[in-house]
Amino acid sequence: MSLHDYSPGGRALRWLYGVATGLAVFTGMAQLPIMKRFYLADLPGLAFSADFYVTGDLHYLAAAALLLLLAWRLGLKARGGSFWYSWGPRSAWGWALLGVLIATGAVKAARNAGVYLPPALLLTADFTHLGAAMAFMFTGLGSLIKGRKAPAGEGA
Amino acid sequence: MPETKTLGSLSRRGFLKGTAAAAAGLAVSGLALPQAVQAATGQELCTLLDLSRCIGCEACVDGCRDAWQATVPDPVANIPQPFPERVPIEDWSRRKDVQDRLTPYNFLYVEHLEVPHKGQEQELHIPRRCMHCVNAPCTNLCPFGACQTESNGVTHIDQDVCLGGAKCKTVCPWHIPQRQSGVGIYLNLMPQMAGNGVMFKCHRCLPLLEKGQQPRCIEVCPQKVQSIGPRDGQLKKAEALARQMAVKDGAPEDKWGDYVYGLKENGGTGTIYVAPMPFSEINAAIMKDHQEKAKEERAAAAQAGLKPEQAGLLGNLGRPPMGRVANSMENAEKLTLALMIAPVAGLAAGLGKFLAKVGKLTQKPVAPASKQEGGRS
Repeated sequence: MSLHDYSPGGRALRWLYGVATGLAVFTGMAQLPIMKRFYLADLPGLAFSADFYVTGDLHYLAAAALLLLLAWRLGLKARGGSFWYSWGPRSAWGWALLGVLIATGAVKAARNAGVYLPPALLLTADFTHLGAAMAFMFTGLGSLIKGRKAPAGEGA
Repeated sequence: MPETKTLGSLSRRGFLKGTAAAAAGLAVSGLALPQAVQAATGQELCTLLDLSRCIGCEACVDGCRDAWQATVPDPVANIPQPFPERVPIEDWSRRKDVQDRLTPYNFLYVEHLEVPHKGQEQELHIPRRCMHCVNAPCTNLCPFGACQTESNGVTHIDQDVCLGGAKCKTVCPWHIPQRQSGVGIYLNLMPQMAGNGVMFKCHRCLPLLEKGQQPRCIEVCPQKVQSIGPRDGQLKKAEALARQMAVKDGAPEDKWGDYVYGLKENGGTGTIYVAPMPFSEINAAIMKDHQEKAKEERAAAAQAGLKPEQAGLLGNLGRPPMGRVANSMENAEKLTLALMIAPVAGLAAGLGKFLAKVGKLTQKPVAPASKQEGGRS
């Protein structure tokens, strides 16, 4: 047995990751013109979901929180530690999906900030972002259902 | 080298003849080509409209309709009713003759106004169409990349990709794009559940620009109301013209910004209007006129037993106002900074001492990493 960090950051970061992921997924879906059409925006407290600008801003904030957390994990890894996390991607597939989401999201953010990008690139980024988000959503859902256990001999 | 020989063999007389012919050719083509050539080279273009010249003849509207109306397809015979039923079918195919507002079959219309100004009613005519924003929210926020901005500043909608969700219309400060239901790719997907047609709007004659030609509305205008050219030059022309208008109207020259529209609207557009009176007065006249028209059209629809949405009476009824418009992408532009700072801050925190200590607070002895992280996807 050697000394390792167990879930660095503790419960607070797990919650932050969960809230940020949920918000990113919800506001991402709200970028499709479906919230008003399918009455979701009519539900109490969800009127904001039909406002593409508000949900867009929230999507940015969620993405910034996720980038902060994931970069922090990379920073810890770079320090040479070996950790078990109760939040975030656990497999190469999960990291790959997040990588695609971050890369395509960066393309879209650059366009939103006024950087000129060719239509073909933007179209590709749009569909790839959408596809990766769907895959991430289903993978995450499966992971939630399956549950996550701490390594043998440790409490969750 | 052959090229050198050719040049060398060219007599002085031949050279002069060739030069004269080239100059004549340029003159015949209207010297309009330099601007259009800019489009072909991808330089950002901007149109400038001098409203003091417009006589409201609508030659631009006719020119646009003649060139592009036929490119908008007719819908299928039985347009699928989207689910849920409150989503309206918008069918303009039987009202292609409408040209006093924007419709899927009419990308340009002319506002005919009587503007109260200095105690008099002054006639003013304003060609209206897509503003071709510099940082266009329709392009940025379309979830499928159907709305596109070219390097020459033209914003257009790809008919083959658009599903007709009308998000572009919602996020456009002027609600310019117009929907035709029963056309487009959504018919091959889940027509009841997703999509509702295709959005259409002015594409500033992109196919013509790409061939080095002028947009039709500019080419056919007998009054030369519009000009097109590289953005920087057009902005300077707009400012100079607006200063003249302000002074002529008896206003201080530094109030020239009141006489120009589109320069700063929505963070800057590719369509700049200059008028002989302040746009606050013009917009007041527009709003009054639109309210009256809306009242009449809604009454006519009710008389015909139609709901407003069935009569295409949605939003601003295809007639954009001219109030001052803040940059709708401003928040996104600012939040981009947060996106850039976040990973740097996270990485620094992980590498540094501060949050590493947080990790130590929960430090426990566990099994080796190889056993911990394997096998789960």
